[in-house]
Amino acid sequence: MSMKSVKLKYGYIVAAIIVLTIASCQKVIDLKLNNAPAQIVIEANITDQEGPQYVTITKSVPFTATDNFPTVTGAVITLNDGAGRQFHFNEVHPGLYVLYPFHGGVYGRTYTLTVKIGDTTYMAQSTMPTVSVPLDSITDKPNVFGKSSLRTITVNYQDPPNIANQYLFVLFVNSTEVGTIFTNDDSFTNGRYVKEDLFQTDIDIHPGDTASVNMESIDKNIYKYWYTLSQQQTNGPDGGVTPSNPPSNFNNNALGYFSAHTITGKSIIVY
Amino acid sequence: MLSTDKLFTYRPQYLNIAILLAFCLLISIPVSAQKKFTVSGNVKDAATGEILIGATITLNKTSTSSNNYGFYSLTAPEGNYILTVTYVGYAPAVYTVALTENKVVDVALNPKAELQQVVINAHTRNNDNVASPQMGVEKLDMSQINNVPVLLGERDILKTLSLLPGVKAASEGNTGFYVRGGASDQNLILLDEATVYNASHLFGFFSTFNSDAIKDVSLYKGGMPAQYGGRLSSVLDIKMDEGNNQNYVVQGGIGLISSRIKVEGPIVKDKGSFMISARRTYLDLFLRASSDSTVKGSQLYFYDINAKANYHFDDKNVLYLSGYFGKDVLGLKNTFGTNWGNSTGTLRFNHIFNSKLFSNTSLIYSNYNYDIQSYLPGNNFNAVSQITDLDFKEDLQYFISNSHTIKFGVDALHHNLAPGSITADGNSSFNDKTIERRYGLETAAYISDEWHASDKLSLLYGFRLSNMFLFGPGTFSTYDAAGNTVTSNTYNSGQIVKRYFNLEPRFSASYSLTSETSLKASYNRNTQNIHIISNSTSSTPTDLYVMSSNNIKPEIADQFSTGYFRNFNDNMFEFSTEVYYKWLQNQIDYKNGAQLILNQDVESQLVYGTGRAYGIEFFLKKKYGKFNGWLGYTLSRTERKFAAINNGDYYPATQDRTNDISAVGIYQFSKRWSFSSTFVYGTGNPVTYPNGKYEINGLTTFYYSQRNANREPANNRLDLGATLEGKPHKKYHSSWTFGIYNVYDHRNPYAITFRDSKTNPGTTEAVETSLFGRIPSVTWNFKF
Repeated sequence: MSMKSVKLKYGYIVAAIIVLTIASCQKVIDLKLNNAPAQIVIEANITDQEGPQYVTITKSVPFTATDNFPTVTGAVITLNDGAGRQFHFNEVHPGLYVLYPFHGGVYGRTYTLTVKIGDTTYMAQSTMPTVSVPLDSITDKPNVFGKSSLRTITVNYQDPPNIANQYLFVLFVNSTEVGTIFTNDDSFTNGRYVKEDLFQTDIDIHPGDTASVNMESIDKNIYKYWYTLSQQQTNGPDGGVTPSNPPSNFNNNALGYFSAHTITGKSIIVY
Repeated sequence: MLSTDKLFTYRPQYLNIAILLAFCLLISIPVSAQKKFTVSGNVKDAATGEILIGATITLNKTSTSSNNYGFYSLTAPEGNYILTVTYVGYAPAVYTVALTENKVVDVALNPKAELQQVVINAHTRNNDNVASPQMGVEKLDMSQINNVPVLLGERDILKTLSLLPGVKAASEGNTGFYVRGGASDQNLILLDEATVYNASHLFGFFSTFNSDAIKDVSLYKGGMPAQYGGRLSSVLDIKMDEGNNQNYVVQGGIGLISSRIKVEGPIVKDKGSFMISARRTYLDLFLRASSDSTVKGSQLYFYDINAKANYHFDDKNVLYLSGYFGKDVLGLKNTFGTNWGNSTGTLRFNHIFNSKLFSNTSLIYSNYNYDIQSYLPGNNFNAVSQITDLDFKEDLQYFISNSHTIKFGVDALHHNLAPGSITADGNSSFNDKTIERRYGLETAAYISDEWHASDKLSLLYGFRLSNMFLFGPGTFSTYDAAGNTVTSNTYNSGQIVKRYFNLEPRFSASYSLTSETSLKASYNRNTQNIHIISNSTSSTPTDLYVMSSNNIKPEIADQFSTGYFRNFNDNMFEFSTEVYYKWLQNQIDYKNGAQLILNQDVESQLVYGTGRAYGIEFFLKKKYGKFNGWLGYTLSRTERKFAAINNGDYYPATQDRTNDISAVGIYQFSKRWSFSSTFVYGTGNPVTYPNGKYEINGLTTFYYSQRNANREPANNRLDLGATLEGKPHKKYHSSWTFGIYNVYDHRNPYAITFRDSKTNPGTTEAVETSLFGRIPSVTWNFKF
């Protein structure tokens, strides 16, 4: 449990208590929401792995619409590696752009991504961390919050001392991605062997399930992006936080992010 | 350079005000040939020895009221007089006084026999609310609080306060409150003069004030008297019971979720008494019934203890010692535990120098701390944080003449803030970490004069000088707008890091049109040097306190208010309407995604802005009779402005509530039965709803464009209560209190959240969470 999630856990506990002691109630309601014009959403990742690198460009839709997000085609996407080289992405599906071949991002290098859509150019920079922190192991244990027959996954890794590290963990249960953002930095764990529980309620994990975790070392801005997004996911009795858009590293009001990050992964069968 | 310039431009202003004040004081010193004498004394309850605050003392036609310690002083030319002392709920006392020298008349009033219908002479009914220059003040009658129905039968002064115009509860069932558009950390909450930092139990569902132990409650919303300072929007001054100095009394109550007991009695009859009151909740018993083993092993309770003792050495010297200690404990078995609480202690010495000069000296201690433990294997840690205050206050009241009463004093308040430290064993994922302590000293000096300039015009004017010093030791940094460190300096112990000086003028006036009608106006400036960093709607135990520093400037509020006050039917009804306008400077919010917990550079996460609040309040109260109660309506607007939010435009603050209606009725049906009811209606809170959605990493993500551009649905609720007094017994008395919260089961929104629909995949939905449906309660009270 990260310290930052302490407040969040309060939320869980109090929510549990309130549900138990007083009849709190939830119902789906109809709200009149204002609709903003469609916004450009860019999701771009460059990893330290050799292989294709992807950028997707979509548009936002009104809240009441179905989850069909229009793709943005015909964008011109260029990656600058800060060392004099430029790479170009090709559109392989509407809205999906691929850079291939690519020999993997270089540690410590700051990459610049330029996306030209019509007359507008969006730019973002991200720095590949200087080390790829390996995921030592993943383990499982009984759920702490909620039903104890279910399991919680723990990630174990050695945080390197002397440098600031930020991480994103992506959890898959039987190949389905868990819809919870797990992110952490080392402000409380610098140099420690860290055992972090991935608390979530999205997918129940039973013995016999396959659990895999991708661990990304990410830069500070991207950490802030994921952290802000993860905070919006909670809305406990402590009121949650005032909702806001996570800080994109793209300019010109594009939503989304450009992340240069490392990846390591592990998989286990839960028992 | 800039600051020097400012100093020079400001200085003449200060000088002018000082000269003006000195002048006002001078012209008022009476120069008279006729010999004058003073009658003074203390007013108390004859049955219990409790001092009575705000009793009306009339000497022929001049009148005054007893101060917070029961003391009064009146001066008149030599002669024979009738001295009348009245107080609501007590039989009036009348004395003949031959004023040939200074006299001491101590008054003991007898409580009226219960329910005895006394025809009250119109002249003994108080019209202070109209005549006094003080405005924006609400006094709660404890017997009324005890009759107002509340959630789960836990009567609560903070919840009852939120039924008054201009006061808004932070959220349903919550004791956090906003006064005239101020934030909840802008209320100064004093319990026997000690600051209570976190006035809530259990995330705000209950307040720290056990009404059994409370004697007097005053809330100042505007026209802030000069003796109070340190917070922007209100002062809630709560005084504990002194204890019965005649007889031993035990009383208590057994309720659904808590029980309480109070013992009081004489230490030395007529000279000294004590009072000790305690309460504990047992919500955790409900958890034991759960089938879930984790929930079953959970802890969830709070308790508080109020204690007070006093000793009257003689007519002129009284010593008081009072304390409060409260704690919340919450924990999940083998997983997680937390506790937090306040403790306060006040040592006070009242000394009457002479019939005109009254002194109160206080030494005050206040502490708030929280502790979080994680027992998870490999993730254990213990995190603590605390704030400790030591305060010395000297308050003097000088009754120069019947037309002038001067209050003046000094205050030195030392803060010691330990923002947080974490310890963990070698096996844990966590490092030990301690954030530097911060030390500060707030000193203040004030003077004010209540001047009855004529039969019609009364003024209360003065000022408060406040000084804030931030001391070393420690490393203090400054930050740029992006939050990067610009400078970083290390200071030694006791070295001044930053100093702020503020002059706070306070002024109010009333002009009586008739004996039952008046117009009032006031202006006051307040400053605040200790701030909570939070934008959460309810009070959380982990709220972070920071002091004004090289990054954070003192918050400043200027408030203008004006009002019309009218009593009718021989002061049986009180009506008032007040209009206010308030400017707020140096307001604090934090950046999106801010890291607040255990961050040495937490000040780099803050943004600063301004605010304004304005509104009109209507209040109609029936004070006497079988049926009494009040009706309040507020129309208001509260806005904030931050450069980074909504393009730097004003936007509605979380506490903005356009319409607010509250009605309270208490009906004495028979000798044994009384009924009560409250109704509230309020515009929904401003909230931020999504204006669209998009997908990130396969997850539906919501798009927001304007902060607080939407409104939650309006709140409304009706509560009912009934009290059945037991049959009279010689030895004991008992009563039952029944209540129904939310009679028509209206689900008021607590939070509205947005999520992927489970029933209709590929779409999203809005979900409203409400907390309290219809909840009955019953409490049994006893006294012997």
